[in-house]
Amino acid sequence: MDGYGKPLPSLTEENRPFWEACREGRLSLQRCDACGHLRYPVARHCPECLGEGATWTDVSGRGAVFSFIVIHRAYHPGFQDDVPYNVALVQLEEGPRMFSNVIGTPNDAVRVGDAVEAVFDPVTPEVTIPRFRLRAPVR
Amino acid sequence: MTHPLRDRCAIVGVGASAQGKVPGSTAISLAVDAFRHALDDSGLRKEQIDGLLTLPGQTSAEGAQNYIRLGETLGIDPRFTATMSMGGATPAAQVQLAALAVNAGMASHVAVVFGDAAATGGGRYDRAQGWGDSSAIWGYMSAAANSAVSASRHMAVYGTTSRQLGEVAVACRHHASLNPDAVMRKPITVEDHQASRWVVEPLHLLDCCLVSDGGGCVIVSSAERARDLRQPPVLVAGMGQAFSTRNLGHPDWWYAPHQKAAVDDAYAMASLGPDDIDVAQLYDNFTISVLLWLEHAGFCKPGESGPFCEGGRIRLGGDLPVNTAGGNLSESYMEGILHIVEGVRQMRGTCGPRQVPDAAATLVTGRGGALNCASALVLRRE
Repeated sequence: MDGYGKPLPSLTEENRPFWEACREGRLSLQRCDACGHLRYPVARHCPECLGEGATWTDVSGRGAVFSFIVIHRAYHPGFQDDVPYNVALVQLEEGPRMFSNVIGTPNDAVRVGDAVEAVFDPVTPEVTIPRFRLRAPVR
Repeated sequence: MTHPLRDRCAIVGVGASAQGKVPGSTAISLAVDAFRHALDDSGLRKEQIDGLLTLPGQTSAEGAQNYIRLGETLGIDPRFTATMSMGGATPAAQVQLAALAVNAGMASHVAVVFGDAAATGGGRYDRAQGWGDSSAIWGYMSAAANSAVSASRHMAVYGTTSRQLGEVAVACRHHASLNPDAVMRKPITVEDHQASRWVVEPLHLLDCCLVSDGGGCVIVSSAERARDLRQPPVLVAGMGQAFSTRNLGHPDWWYAPHQKAAVDDAYAMASLGPDDIDVAQLYDNFTISVLLWLEHAGFCKPGESGPFCEGGRIRLGGDLPVNTAGGNLSESYMEGILHIVEGVRQMRGTCGPRQVPDAAATLVTGRGGALNCASALVLRRE
């Protein structure tokens, strides 16, 4: 794992489809077979109806910045060279929210409400992390 | 109709250990110190304490079995006990559990005890949070990050400014300057706040609580028994708690709406409202927390807490003095138990230069987790 010293997901039976989709450049979430609720984070049970069955469903990857922070301290040694780096809470168009990073833009150019879209950052042979970039306003 | 539990219990003893950096201390030694002070304050004997509720500090290796370790150290065998873990919401929630136990006849005198050697013993606050696909993958770590998300959204939606957050830090520091037991006593200005380094933007260093060694303890008894004890009883008039354990699944998670639910329940039980509160002890892990409490407790409308904090309104002498001992920001970070201690002392009228004249009712709040847990107490003097 030379060169990538940051926290990585532990791949499990449960979350493997999420991370495999990311490797293929897709954001895929679980849609509950029983009630249709689209859920994230990855979970065995639907938080709405407690049903177990779910179908992995690709989402658009589009969303908006719901909240945005800039971390100036390395709480993990792997981020030492990254500070200050941003974390965004992204509101996906399809409903769920997820924490991620906005890349390709200076931190001070990002505003709450900005439109973003998912991009996929391969950090190890196994893991590709979904991040976001600012999306030009729809013309 | 009066709520059947209103004023039925009282806080009869409060105590704290030395705070700040206490070399050679441990979470347990600090808890014991606080317990001894609270016991002396109440006039009870150790053998009379038959309830023990504990919150393990960040440096308490025994975790959920903290109650056994502490019971062993204190040399008591309670008939009612638990260790609870709701972060800064725990102590005020434990006063409520204590009151329920006393009312149910399951205990007579319940000690709520906290101790932690986080300053010299090494805290855990820097660790990644969460489980499963932890947000640490994206570098989302630290308690400051949660509150920064809250602050960032509040600023975007309501136009709240960093300077307004700074007013909270300045008020708490001013109060700490009047408290000989506080850790940080040198007065600060909003300019000092603005000049302090970023921790997690939009939070500066002076938006953040301290990391402290220390302990705190409060003892809960029935109001009836309290009248025979050493101190004037401070009545538990109202109690409430609420939780947003759905985390991100709650659409307003960032705004901590459970804080409002907790305070509303406490007000309802007490048959009191924001206009009746003379002084407030509002949990302040970060300055934004106080802003949210001011809105959720009805002291101002949603979105108006920033302007509300301007002009010294939350300082001694203002309309609503907040965190009169200095709070987590300047007195000592004790997971909220010192907020209860100060609330009780304000009701007794023993706070000296920081006493709010004729204070008859106070709101004490706690919050913890990753914006998940809230607890509220309305205390009043008899």
